Amino acid sequence: MSPVIYYGFTLLFFFAAYSILGWGLNLQFGEAGILNFAYIGFVAIGAYITGVTSMGKPPQGSGETYMFAARLPFPIGLLLGGLASCLLAVLVAFIAFRRLRSDYLAMVLISVSLVMYDIINNYVPLFDGADGLNTVPMPFAGVLSLNANSFLVFFAVASVGIAGVMWLIISRITRSPLGRTFRAIRDDPDVISALGKSVFRYQLTAMLIGAFYAGIGGGLIIEFSSSFNTSAWLPPETFLIFAALIIGGLRNNVGVVAGAFVVPVLFTQLPKFLPDIPGHPGLILNLEGSVIGLLLIVTMWFRPQGIIPERPRRADQLIGTIRSRMRRGGEPAKVVAE
Amino acid sequence: MHQFWLAVGFGLVTASVLAVAAVGLSLQFGITNYINFAYGDYMALGAYLSWEMNAGLLHWNIWLAMICGSLAMGVIAVLVNKLVLAPFARRFEKLFYILIVTFGLSLIILSILNSVWGAEVKHYTLKNQKPLHIGPFLLTIDQLIVAAVGLVLMVAIHLLLTRTPLGKSMRAMSDNTTLAMTSGIDTRRITTITWFLTGMLAGLAGTVLGITSASITPSFGETFLFVIFAAVIVGGVGSVYGAIAGAVIIGMATEVSAVFINASYKLDTAFAILILVLLFRPSGLFARAGKA
Repeated sequence: MSPVIYYGFTLLFFFAAYSILGWGLNLQFGEAGILNFAYIGFVAIGAYITGVTSMGKPPQGSGETYMFAARLPFPIGLLLGGLASCLLAVLVAFIAFRRLRSDYLAMVLISVSLVMYDIINNYVPLFDGADGLNTVPMPFAGVLSLNANSFLVFFAVASVGIAGVMWLIISRITRSPLGRTFRAIRDDPDVISALGKSVFRYQLTAMLIGAFYAGIGGGLIIEFSSSFNTSAWLPPETFLIFAALIIGGLRNNVGVVAGAFVVPVLFTQLPKFLPDIPGHPGLILNLEGSVIGLLLIVTMWFRPQGIIPERPRRADQLIGTIRSRMRRGGEPAKVVAE
Repeated sequence: MHQFWLAVGFGLVTASVLAVAAVGLSLQFGITNYINFAYGDYMALGAYLSWEMNAGLLHWNIWLAMICGSLAMGVIAVLVNKLVLAPFARRFEKLFYILIVTFGLSLIILSILNSVWGAEVKHYTLKNQKPLHIGPFLLTIDQLIVAAVGLVLMVAIHLLLTRTPLGKSMRAMSDNTTLAMTSGIDTRRITTITWFLTGMLAGLAGTVLGITSASITPSFGETFLFVIFAAVIVGGVGSVYGAIAGAVIIGMATEVSAVFINASYKLDTAFAILILVLLFRPSGLFARAGKA
């Protein structure tokens, strides 16, 4: 097969992986209103745990050091990655969700991801420091006797399948009463606590589900590229996913897919294969950040609803009516009866 | 004990760097009511501008370069506010729009820094690098000047806020923008001046951070951001005096902790203190109503 086809499958993989990452962040930020600037930290934990639980003990003399080494078959390591990310979400929620204003919370969250970066970089025994994990085995390569090329095609297709399952789950959640409560909390947490719901518990739930998506996405990325290190997850990477959400269409899972196609695939993966400008090696990759940043700012100004906007939902409109009546001191019960 | 006093000396220097940065962030937050997530990159840009005047294009004395770099950064901060931030803040009521715009701005500045100056480490040309024994401390002249700069700036900002009409207008706006506007304060002018001041403080903080840590890289401001956030949150968001107190607490704690733990983790102490404060006093030590 020609390189162009492999390249196409690589893009297909990143499209699937970033769609999963986008749905997770959309649930946390778009639906529940949590400005999670630490999102990439959750992706990283998922990737690291998936990596170490499928690599086995570091080979003698390789110089690699990492904890929690195990050699578990494919989907188990991935699921453990997702669960590890959830564990981090619980920790973060108990520290940070203490009735902070959203920018205050975002400051704490971005600090969480920077400190994680600092510790994992410095504490080499944990996940091999700045060198990162480099010998993550290719799932099923042995069973199906795949080489590097056929693995790429196989895993890209498998990831699309996994993304399909994740899509079914996330769209069920968004449509369910749970999703409705998330949106209501986002729009007005005070009214929702007055209605007897625990805002903290719902925000924690949103964090958990979103973190699981982050962990699975991270796990898929490490298994696809077979390596992962700290340079892959500084705050700009979180920004990339936010940009995908907002450009594609915040609060809309289809919009997220569109965003995942435009930002991480078209603007991030594609330029890696463009030839360098003569005399300026790496300039295209360096300027890519500016291009994505500008694209986001321009989109927010001219089309803040994104490529595919949020669909108005009947139940949400009802909640809105109840809310405005409650604010005016009216009778909420009548609206429900209508 | 000797080690401990040495660390206290370094703590004073770190505290002054941190105080300059934290006060800049707090002043701007008080006036505009949103956090600037590109603040770390403003610091890095300021540090590079000073570097150009000290060791790049020009070969000026580091302190002159620092002043010019900071002034240039102040002008840039005003321009960015006029062109990008102010229009967004006026148009969108929801806080998250403007926060994401500042986050995007940080990506843009970082990628410009990477394109123009490259990823390799840069150094300032410093002359006074011989350590001196002063009491129990062991500091270079440059470190002493950094500490003095921090101290002088803090006093200057205190005087600005309490003694001048400009400072009083700034405090009024920080308390209640609408009320300040109705009582005849030109809020746009105050906002512009505030951006100039805080851009300058960011540039200055970036340069002194580059001097004390002996290296500049494009992302060094951004990775230092959580230490500034820790100082600001520990002190209480929006309070300038809180920011100074937070900077002293965090600066001292990080350097002194290096006596007891591996020095590579000393900045993480800042985060540990941040967590403790969040658990026991989430609005900070000197909280201001309505800002947290």
